[in-house]
Amino acid sequence: MSTIEDISSRGPRLSKAATEPALVRWALTALAVAFLAVFLIVPLAAVFIEAFDKGVSVYIAAITDPMALAAIRLTLLTAVIAVPVNTVFGVLAAWAITKFDFRGKSVLLALIDLPFSVSPVISGLIFILLFGASGFFGPFLAAHDIKIIFAVPGIVIATLFVTFPFVARELIPLMDAQGSDDEQAALALGAGGFQTFIRVTLPNIKWGLLYGVILCNARAMGEFGAVSVVSGHIRGLTNTVPLHVEILYNEYNFAAAFAVASLLTFLALVTLVAKAIVERKARAAMRAAASRRTSGGPHEH
Amino acid sequence: MASRRSIIPGFNITMGLTLSYLAAMVLLPLAALFVKTTTSTWQEFLQTVTSARVVASYRLSFLAAFAAASINAVFGFLVAWVLVRYNFPGKRIIDGLVDLPFALPTAVAGISLTAVYAPSGLFGKPLAALGIKSAFSPLGVVIALTFISLPFVVRTVQPILQNLEIENEEAAASLGAGRMQTFLRVLLPTVLPAVLTGFALSFARALGEYGSVVFISGNMPMKTEITPLLIMTKLEQFDYPGAAAVAVVMLAASFLILLATNLLQWWGKRRGIWV
Amino acid sequence: MSIEVRNITKRFGDFAALRDINLQFSTGELVALLGPSGCGKTTLLRIIAGLEFPETGDVLFDGKSAAERTVRQRRVGFVFQHYALFRHMSVFENVAFGLRVRPRKFRPSNAEIRDKVNTLLKLIQMEHLARHYPAQLSGGQRQRVALARALAVEPSVLLLDEPFGALDAKVRLELRRWLRRLHDELHVTSVFVTHDQEEALEVADRVVLMNAGRVEQVGTPEEVYDNPATPFVYTFLGHVNIFRGRVHRGHAQVGAVEIDAPEYTDADNAPAVGYVRPHDVEVFREAGDPLAIPARVVRVQMLGPLVRLELATLSGGDPLEAQLTRKGFQELNARPGETVYVKMANMRVFI
Repeated sequence: MSTIEDISSRGPRLSKAATEPALVRWALTALAVAFLAVFLIVPLAAVFIEAFDKGVSVYIAAITDPMALAAIRLTLLTAVIAVPVNTVFGVLAAWAITKFDFRGKSVLLALIDLPFSVSPVISGLIFILLFGASGFFGPFLAAHDIKIIFAVPGIVIATLFVTFPFVARELIPLMDAQGSDDEQAALALGAGGFQTFIRVTLPNIKWGLLYGVILCNARAMGEFGAVSVVSGHIRGLTNTVPLHVEILYNEYNFAAAFAVASLLTFLALVTLVAKAIVERKARAAMRAAASRRTSGGPHEH
Repeated sequence: MASRRSIIPGFNITMGLTLSYLAAMVLLPLAALFVKTTTSTWQEFLQTVTSARVVASYRLSFLAAFAAASINAVFGFLVAWVLVRYNFPGKRIIDGLVDLPFALPTAVAGISLTAVYAPSGLFGKPLAALGIKSAFSPLGVVIALTFISLPFVVRTVQPILQNLEIENEEAAASLGAGRMQTFLRVLLPTVLPAVLTGFALSFARALGEYGSVVFISGNMPMKTEITPLLIMTKLEQFDYPGAAAVAVVMLAASFLILLATNLLQWWGKRRGIWV
Repeated sequence: MSIEVRNITKRFGDFAALRDINLQFSTGELVALLGPSGCGKTTLLRIIAGLEFPETGDVLFDGKSAAERTVRQRRVGFVFQHYALFRHMSVFENVAFGLRVRPRKFRPSNAEIRDKVNTLLKLIQMEHLARHYPAQLSGGQRQRVALARALAVEPSVLLLDEPFGALDAKVRLELRRWLRRLHDELHVTSVFVTHDQEEALEVADRVVLMNAGRVEQVGTPEEVYDNPATPFVYTFLGHVNIFRGRVHRGHAQVGAVEIDAPEYTDADNAPAVGYVRPHDVEVFREAGDPLAIPARVVRVQMLGPLVRLELATLSGGDPLEAQLTRKGFQELNARPGETVYVKMANMRVFI
């Protein structure tokens, strides 16, 4: 019960009895930092070094190329559809799961997490099997002249699948910790269901929600495998930014590939900063919820 | 599925929409995969999923994912330990960077790691001088998989370490235990379920990874071809039943790992370690 | 084993946790470190154990300095406030831990460990729970396991940090009496920290009263209760009536009361405070005693065997509290609103 409290109050304050000699501390820290340097920092820096390898003009030319701009537009379009849809779903699912008791809750939770454990390639494959020319709905779609696979709708659908759990998965533990006391109070005071959600629930969950949206967006813009399967790689039409990177790279146009990749890397860094800020706020909300739930109870540790 | 009488409104509509969307978006497409495999006979299915090239890809995928998850179990625990227990300059930036593999598109990770580990790259060159081929070899696959699954162990172990009661270690010391004894007998058993959970999550993620590996592996059949790439190849050859068959095997493996992860969590809770 | 604490000073940043502490604990004694939270008592206990290290000063065990010895080497038994039991070990393994981690040369055999642990479990009346895990025990049971675990290494000194702090009232009462009996059996030099004066006075041979990083008074429970050395001790131990006034050349005028204050013969009209325990306030029906002053009964409260009177002196000021036995109250037979006469039987004045 007091676990979250302890994180903030304790920090690395340690008595001498519970820590290592300075030399050991120093060596372990150096080893950990070296590991992260080799696996994270060097590859991260390499993106920008390679991107500017041939100079700034090549860099600018690569990211203002019409094909690159088309890829950026498609990636933005995909995110603009996938993120709101999965956000709405995440809120609905979190409401249903945390505000009510029903049988099979843990099964439902596992099913929502399912897309996380499916390989990106399989995530694309399943939609080819559904909507592809020889898929289950293939003949129907062909008859009505609707193109999903190797077209924009396929890319959007595959992205919806891979980003499916992000918002729900952030909200469920948060709303679970917060309980329904606030909502019950609002309803008892005569507020309607929707009013209660907008005025009471939403302010309580806004940081967790934003956190989920940020993660969802990062994945939506960066997804490669699933989108690669359904896209067909038609330049200027069904190429997202990550796919455009691949094409440039496979054409040995490394500087341009890294230039476009640097945009995605920049997005990733922005995501990390936003995540760090929002995470702190969300943790505070979680902590507030936890302490509110426990205060008033008997004080047994 | 019966809702208990509750004054909170909206059960029917939120649950209805959740289940409909879940069914349409996740369950139906995954069902399509299994249905597709039934279009081929059991013999054909077995032949496809046990052909030499496919088995070689399982071997590589499994071993490389296992190696990457093992590296991350050890170093992820170390990173979590250092982040929780010690203070050093730049700690918060390092802490934030741990999540980079979650935020960075896998294709970008792939080309960047390839650039670093290619024979002309920063790490590739000295490794090549030592006679070690990193990119375009199974080692390259392990490197890419280590990168993309790096955050899991750190992020599962970190909160557990933060919640540890220092008094436990002080108690061990007051009873005469040395620091190493305290680590092995008191700390490790407490953190082990979290390390194993992180390992399982890393392993599952690495097993399915595609984007980062295709660039660094070289994609040589029988040598550096991972299973997801093989599915991709079959798709490009319009061998849909073959792709579906291999995918079903992979999916089954993922679900087994997921099950194992849940059992681990349950084990950890049951031991009263995670309250 | 005796313990001596010599000139201990400890700071946490700007906060002086301990200022020049000097104490002696004799062999076989049970001593309470008593004080409000933040007074430094737990820090002192942790310094004795070797869990913290002081800026200046030394801790001596049997006259030998422990400055260079870590907690591991000091062989003290430490019982933590929240027990700090190892959650992944059974009760048996928790108690056996200190024996199992000994260097091989000194480690008892498995059979010896089993015998020793079983003896201790019998002592704490928990043999039947040996296979249980800490999560399955009640607070009082956990406390007893923590104690047995500390005793297993045969410590020469037993240190307990708020040993009953996390328990509910009834268990607390039982357990502290049990601890006292256990101490009378084992005679291990023991120091425990508490903020509960009743606990300290009931259990300890001697009480060390601490406040704001200093020792206020050391003495037997009777001494500290009957003869508080400082105003802090007066207010911290039990209820007390406080009167403000002045002292001039050995004579005090506090409230409506005038008494001699021989220890302040040099005082020149200095502000002073007088302290009187409620049971030292004598109440009479009739005026007569020249030192008694009139007061009005405001409220009468029955507290089991005792009766508490709230009185207002006619000169105004804070209400006054008096405590009578039931018998004394029946003889007095006073009702709210009536006037009685009060006399301070035992007042201490501090400048």
